[in-house]
Amino acid sequence: MSIDKELREELRQAADSMHCPPDLYERVHQSYQHFVKEKRGRSPMKKRLLAGIAAVAILIPSAVYASSYLADGIFGSSAAIEKIGGSKEEYQEIEGFLKTAKAKLTEDEFKEYMELTKQLMQLKMKITDKNGIRDEGKLTKEEQQQWEQLATKLAPLFEKITATETAKP
Amino acid sequence: MNDKELLPWLEKATLGDESAFQLVYQATHQDVYRTVAFLVYNKQDIEDIVNEVYMRMWRSFHNYDPNRSFRFWLHGITVRQVQDWKRKAWRRIRLFERNRQMTCEQFDWTDKAVLQSEMQLELLSLVRQLSYKLSVVVILRYFHDYALEEIADMLQIPVGTVKSRHHLALKELRKRFGMTGGDAYVH
Repeated sequence: MSIDKELREELRQAADSMHCPPDLYERVHQSYQHFVKEKRGRSPMKKRLLAGIAAVAILIPSAVYASSYLADGIFGSSAAIEKIGGSKEEYQEIEGFLKTAKAKLTEDEFKEYMELTKQLMQLKMKITDKNGIRDEGKLTKEEQQQWEQLATKLAPLFEKITATETAKP
Repeated sequence: MNDKELLPWLEKATLGDESAFQLVYQATHQDVYRTVAFLVYNKQDIEDIVNEVYMRMWRSFHNYDPNRSFRFWLHGITVRQVQDWKRKAWRRIRLFERNRQMTCEQFDWTDKAVLQSEMQLELLSLVRQLSYKLSVVVILRYFHDYALEEIADMLQIPVGTVKSRHHLALKELRKRFGMTGGDAYVH
């Protein structure tokens, strides 16, 4: 018999007499469960960590803003509105309105509202002179379109703010 | 169960499906255990390595190329785990102690598993006396029936090296076999 053949046969015979101990199953099973737990545990942990970082990133600037006027987010400061013939009282009025808006709208809606209002106000400030007189002819065609878009987007939000205000007893 | 049938189960198992795990284990454990037991002789060590092979299997399933044979991938993992373990053991135990232990282990294993079955497996005990580098080639060639090129791929060494190790191993076996059991054929 050639050594190749003999080797094959002996290894086969020896293999048949080798049996994986049954209690090894429990051990492999345990490490498998550990693997599954680790795999499942890992992704929610990452998500939580990311959510935590995002929350901190949002909280820090909003904490800074909270101490200042909401209206500052739109006009920069009351000085800007004074330039176009507004007064500090009017500025306070706007501020009051924004505060109701913040209370009535959800966080995302309010963010959108602030952003849209800011854009609209910038356009308004552009066409208003020192005495508070508006001249819409100053707008370019694109700016007019933008104005209209902003107005249509703002309308439902605006309605929501005023509606909930009147609905309040 | 062949490769193709096993794959979806293996994937399910890596996603946490308990019954898929059981199925994969049932289909593969004897093969993994025997491969390791041919290369490592201490019972506790064999069990440690088998456990590690499965851990590696779950963890690196995403690296598996479905165009290649599952069996080849599994044996690759098994051989690498054995090699990792050998490297660690080498650092852990001093050479002279290691040699002493290995002789004990050999008797241990031979007594229990082989002689119990009342079979004369002289060649096998000779294979066990070869160095690891030679015996791994013999096991992959004659137990798993891999071509020398496949063995080179699995062990990540040149084909020429595998060929010379294969040649050397057979030469050693012939020489030693001739000295012990081979006498019967001569006279």
